[in-house]
Amino acid sequence: MKRIKFIDRMSQGKVSRRDMMKAAGAFGVGTMVLPRVANAAEVLTCLEWGGYDAPEYFQAYVDKYGAQPNFSIFAGEEDALAKVLAGFAADVMHPCNYSVARFVNAGVASEIDTARLSHWNDIFPALQSAEGVIWEGKTVMAPADFGNSGLAYRPDLIGEEFLANPSWGIFYDEKYTGRVAMTDNEMAIIIGAMVGGMPYEEAYKLEGDALVAAAKEWGTKAVNVSRFLWTDSSEVQQAMASGEIIACYAWNDLIANLRAEGIPVEFAKTKEGSFTWFCGLTLLNTGKADEQAAYDFIDAWLSPETGKTLIEGSGYGHANVKSFEIADPEAIANMGITDPVAMMKDTLVFRTPTDAVQEGFNKVWSDTKALKG
Amino acid sequence: MAFASVPARAGSQRDPAILRRRMAGFGLLSPALLLMVLMLALPVMALILMSFWTQDGFELDRTFTLENYRQLVATTDEPTIWFGIPFPFAYPVPAILMLKSLAMSLVATVAVIAVAYPMAYFMAFRITRHKALWIILITIPFWTSYLLRVFSWKIVLGFNGAINSGLKSLGLIEEPLEFLLYNPTAVVITLAHAWVAFAILPIYVSLEKIDRTLLEAASDLGDSRLKRFFRITLPLSAPGTIAASLLVFIPTVGDYVTPALVGGPGGTMIGSLVQDLFLKQNNAPLGAAVSIVMMLIIATLVSLFLWAIGYRKLRSRRA
Repeated sequence: MKRIKFIDRMSQGKVSRRDMMKAAGAFGVGTMVLPRVANAAEVLTCLEWGGYDAPEYFQAYVDKYGAQPNFSIFAGEEDALAKVLAGFAADVMHPCNYSVARFVNAGVASEIDTARLSHWNDIFPALQSAEGVIWEGKTVMAPADFGNSGLAYRPDLIGEEFLANPSWGIFYDEKYTGRVAMTDNEMAIIIGAMVGGMPYEEAYKLEGDALVAAAKEWGTKAVNVSRFLWTDSSEVQQAMASGEIIACYAWNDLIANLRAEGIPVEFAKTKEGSFTWFCGLTLLNTGKADEQAAYDFIDAWLSPETGKTLIEGSGYGHANVKSFEIADPEAIANMGITDPVAMMKDTLVFRTPTDAVQEGFNKVWSDTKALKG
Repeated sequence: MAFASVPARAGSQRDPAILRRRMAGFGLLSPALLLMVLMLALPVMALILMSFWTQDGFELDRTFTLENYRQLVATTDEPTIWFGIPFPFAYPVPAILMLKSLAMSLVATVAVIAVAYPMAYFMAFRITRHKALWIILITIPFWTSYLLRVFSWKIVLGFNGAINSGLKSLGLIEEPLEFLLYNPTAVVITLAHAWVAFAILPIYVSLEKIDRTLLEAASDLGDSRLKRFFRITLPLSAPGTIAASLLVFIPTVGDYVTPALVGGPGGTMIGSLVQDLFLKQNNAPLGAAVSIVMMLIIATLVSLFLWAIGYRKLRSRRA
């Protein structure tokens, strides 16, 4: 009855705007009708790797703002860059040491004022001054996480031949067709060239005819041998867990997650070597949110609590020295990395290619995949 | 095509009553027309414009050039061999993917019609009660998102998926079949399933419209059931079937979500290339040129097809 009376009064124009809004609000209509509050801050928008959008990685930010930022998930930095260049307004991006220069060169990254980051002084000094954190004399990335890219395999399924002489060569060997998965990335060509005897220092800057030749020889093999080319780490983890594939290009999280499930998995000590990357947060100048929110988000990522979560949950290292003091010692021992400097000595640190080289790789890799029969 | 069947009324244009009625007609059309202009015509114009620009690193070079189109047709002396077919192009990827997409869509379309026709036939001739309910039942798959349906195919065809575990538990296979997922066949299966409901409805409508007395007459004159089907039912349902096949063929050629999820590199289609050029290689102008050429090729093929089967004659016969 009350409802009908209300509708009656409404149709006769006897309901005040305030009553109307109150009634509408009760049904959740309010937000649509009300004009947006003029001074409401834009929500922070972050371009993130899949899995890094979980609130435990930036808890301090959530505590301060009461909500998560908006996320757009990318599979590779080049996708994210193309999206930003196409007009996507993001405030923060999560690139890595080898890819941050692309954002700087494209003119979408801003310099970071490290004085505004409360955790900056606890960052490993080696990372504070590393290439990629500093580009052309400016701090353009706040280092947050580091880890390895290596060849992960199932020791129970892979067979003696590989164990006797572990090599990235299995991704290019027809005997392993359908049993391995490379990453959907030009690394397939670079690693192939390394299997062919070229040092990484040359392979990462392949260009022109040499690049096309390497793609024809190694890229094609990688595409044909791989069961699939993975773009999303949960996809490759499921495939490794089920035994669909027995080896893959992987990051530390695959090892940590599968071991947590009780599935045997190891990083191989390949003769070509494995890789180290470190990633971090970059301020983009394309965003619409308040800059302070972006700094708060970055600072939350640098906190030792985030480091603890990262170390214990994913098996990645963290740039904050204090993370290693508060994280579970067993998890640290499991991970096998405590000091990024020591790790970088034993592995190949990813290098930054020039824009022309990166664009060449993008094109050649796409063409190689498309030509698979 | 709809206008063609309206007889022209010469000399009546100036009549104010007719003019008013016509304006009312345009008034009714205008929301759809406005939407089409805003959401279709303008973006297509932008695409055409962009295809004459070039990408230079991070910068867009806005000088008018045919460079993108030249890239698509430039030839070389060393043809790329793909499944035994030589492609004499310097940049053979678009041509190869175009051909492959057309072939895959064609197979998917044939599969869709093969599945949809008997179903539509059943609905039109065998169902007498609750027809509306049957039509609603057919649309049920559309109550879930397209992505969800593609993902379910990933689960059905997967390594530990429904088919493999089923066959394994029946003891028919030892090792899971690996050829089910990540290849063109998986894309064709998924596309065929996704589009089948779109095909059923137009075929059903044209079957439903068939005058039943024609069928009786054919029987009375001594046609067998099979002969009756080929002489009466099939020709009279052709317009719906053709409409259905075009409805399936045209959009599936350019699909990219399905290949991305179930295709693997082997299942790549031309839409994947366009997406890649726009969103990965950061070469929107070339992507625009590829999509325009794709549009032109599909339009040409469809026109040729309609001309070859004499669609106009078919329509006039029905009228």
